[in-house]
Amino acid sequence: MAFGKRRVVITGMGAITPLGQSVDSMFQAQLEARSGVSTITRFDARSFPTKFAAEVHDFDLGRWFKDTTRWNHCGVNSMFAAAAAQQALDQSGLLGLLATGKTDANRFGIYLGSGEGIQDFDNLMWEAAKSYDPSTRTLNYPVFCKGARESFHAESEEEQELHSTARHLAGHFGLGGPNYNCLTACAASAQALGEALDMIRYGDVDVVLAGGAHSMIHPFGVTGFNLLTALSTRNDNPRGASRPFDRERDGFVLAEGAGMLVLEELEHAKARGAIIHAELTGYFSTADAFRVTDSHPEGRGAIACIAGALRDAGVTPAQIGYINAHGTSTQVNDRVESLAIKHVFGDYAHSVPCSSIKSMMGHLIAAAGAVELITCVEAMRHGVLPPTINYENPDPECDLDYIPNQARKVRADHCLSNSFGFGGQNTSLVVSRFAG
Amino acid sequence: MASQVRRAVITGAGALCAVGDDPASIWQAWRDGRSGVKPISLFDSSGLPVRIAGEMTGFDAKNFMEKKDRKQLRVMARTIQLAVASSQKALEDCQVDKSKLDKTRFGVIFGAGLIASELPELADAAHKSALPERGKIDLDVWGREGIPVIQPLWMLRYLPNMLACQVSILHDAQGPNNSITQDDVAGLLAVGETLRIMRRDHGDFFLVGGGDSRINPVSLSRQSLFFPMARRIEDPHLACRPFDVAREGLVLGEGCGVLVVEELEHAKSRGASIQAELVGFGAAFDVRLDGEGMARAIRIALDQAGAKSSDVDHVNACGYGTACEDILESHGIALAFKDRPTPVPVTTLKACTGHTGAASGTLELITAVQCLIRGEVPATLNHQTTDPKCPVTVISGAARKMEKPLIVKTGFTREGQCAAVVLRRWNG
Repeated sequence: MAFGKRRVVITGMGAITPLGQSVDSMFQAQLEARSGVSTITRFDARSFPTKFAAEVHDFDLGRWFKDTTRWNHCGVNSMFAAAAAQQALDQSGLLGLLATGKTDANRFGIYLGSGEGIQDFDNLMWEAAKSYDPSTRTLNYPVFCKGARESFHAESEEEQELHSTARHLAGHFGLGGPNYNCLTACAASAQALGEALDMIRYGDVDVVLAGGAHSMIHPFGVTGFNLLTALSTRNDNPRGASRPFDRERDGFVLAEGAGMLVLEELEHAKARGAIIHAELTGYFSTADAFRVTDSHPEGRGAIACIAGALRDAGVTPAQIGYINAHGTSTQVNDRVESLAIKHVFGDYAHSVPCSSIKSMMGHLIAAAGAVELITCVEAMRHGVLPPTINYENPDPECDLDYIPNQARKVRADHCLSNSFGFGGQNTSLVVSRFAG
Repeated sequence: MASQVRRAVITGAGALCAVGDDPASIWQAWRDGRSGVKPISLFDSSGLPVRIAGEMTGFDAKNFMEKKDRKQLRVMARTIQLAVASSQKALEDCQVDKSKLDKTRFGVIFGAGLIASELPELADAAHKSALPERGKIDLDVWGREGIPVIQPLWMLRYLPNMLACQVSILHDAQGPNNSITQDDVAGLLAVGETLRIMRRDHGDFFLVGGGDSRINPVSLSRQSLFFPMARRIEDPHLACRPFDVAREGLVLGEGCGVLVVEELEHAKSRGASIQAELVGFGAAFDVRLDGEGMARAIRIALDQAGAKSSDVDHVNACGYGTACEDILESHGIALAFKDRPTPVPVTTLKACTGHTGAASGTLELITAVQCLIRGEVPATLNHQTTDPKCPVTVISGAARKMEKPLIVKTGFTREGQCAAVVLRRWNG
């Protein structure tokens, strides 16, 4: 590692996912190769091209907060974030220290890669329809605006704004440090974790609550992704729909949830006797600068990103014991990601286990990277790597060891986690067993 | 710290807003006390309580694009078009030979907010799916008949990361690429992030910006529900009144500001003309919404700049012109500068342009750079009598000469996310 950089460790983690509403239950479900995908219940999707998703069921914010008033008007995205943040901070042991002022709240920041709130589809589209004259194909805007102002709910409209989740977490936990949110599609929470790492390394802050939350399981979300033909339409077999690296893959499966981590400067953690789960050692981000709809066919951005993260962590490809792939189950991503791994890892590429947990819990979009990093930490701690399920038909262009269909006992000391966003943002993180 | 080794300078800028389409003309309008706030003409706003805004009339992104790239405009909402156009202007302003740039160290960091859907794109689908007798949309019909009549790339026109993505694609910028979405402070946070990326040596040349356009039926219907807004239709140019006792609320504007931020040696080696130096950045959250967080952000930024509060010529404030926010900002500035023998002068561009949301931070920072270049600070338009609840000394009436080398630029959200940037005059 470069001289002068402070080391950063993970001292708390929390997760709300379709596979479980805690880190333990999520990871256990992964080891059991379970799928969290089922028919959409959040809205009537019977006639949509895709009728299934990986939803978080039976979520009750009251499990984590006595008083949930602050989150009354928030979308589920912010509620998932709150629950995951509470878990992570509780595990870190910092809540008590914050309350007594023993941890400096002003050197405690937030960096999220969280998504937008859920748009009021019903009222927005109803008001649009009411003000539309199909014979002239024009909208009567005065009619629309009057109607919208009557039917929209002011508080929930405000909570849809993109800075809302981070604001509530800072307000509730009293965190006075820098407060960031980035939204780089599917790379967002991984990028947030990387930038949080950088802020601690160079001394801007000592602790950051970092991660992401998102839900796009709503009519606009499914409409948008269906129009882009990005989603699987395997309606006769939802559990078999997310099949990263399988030749018959036909798109990703939409999911929702949150992943939050407490990143802490090593000496700060040691001084308070914190339990250290792992060390975040490497981060790099690049852009494909190619097309908004496709990744670069030769994986130009992904290659530079993976190589950069390994360099930043000071590890060689041979030291990486596990790759948590972006592995979306789209034709292009899985082919290009495999190509990029082979380019960076060379001869070693075929012997490093590499799986996609999106096969089990779908794609949490902005929140995906954080949940995947948590998975890497758990995999190291337990000495077991989660599988890629639904892997049945080898694809000649995807010829790596994807840990097919069942978990595998392997000790890994360094893990690589990839996240590639729609539009071309690439982020790779390296997390390492804490070796003192 | 490494930031002191790798220095960041501004070598170009592109800006668009209601009062001009380049930094010099915007600064001149500010200097002349011209407001771009007028009755909304982009759509019929008579159904809204708010019918004024700082809108850009006659903006056509095609004028800023090379012919071969123009077809891309159809997948860009107005906000994204503003970002693409301003970036083009910024690159021209810095006179870089793009072919000589290391593309892997060319970053694009933008601030952005929610982008509202344009209703004509969805109206057909909505109409087909409406059940008038039940007063609602039938999702079953939407799925069968609605979705197929929407353009396939519809969603891509509105994703907030598309400002930075489209800019990176047009200019082959393969370095770090991020989209900061903290509302009105997003642009300044993007500047801070750029300084950090430069500190860790992952880039040398950056387009750093923010863009926003909320002058449309959906955004204004929403915004007017939850943000206190000025309604003054009879004399709109007087509506936005930062720190003034008669202020009555926010006036929306639209626009974009893009800076070329470059590592000093990189700029020198290509013979770039340097406009100013970015010497400090601070960010904080104002937990109690009393100005303490704003003050902390300013102090952190001054510390990083190695500067004393007495080195600061003036503060280029956010100055929303709303009741609570102006008080918070005033207290924050007063607290940060309380050790100065004389109060720090404060000014803001806001009354000329309206509030440009995620664009405001970088757009206003660009006008601060113009102040450094010209040695003169324009007054705050429409500021006559300072609200006694706002402990600030506002520059009003006439422009004043700059006396000191530093400007502090502040920005914040009404929910408490704060940031400050320190600019220093470049003396060669």
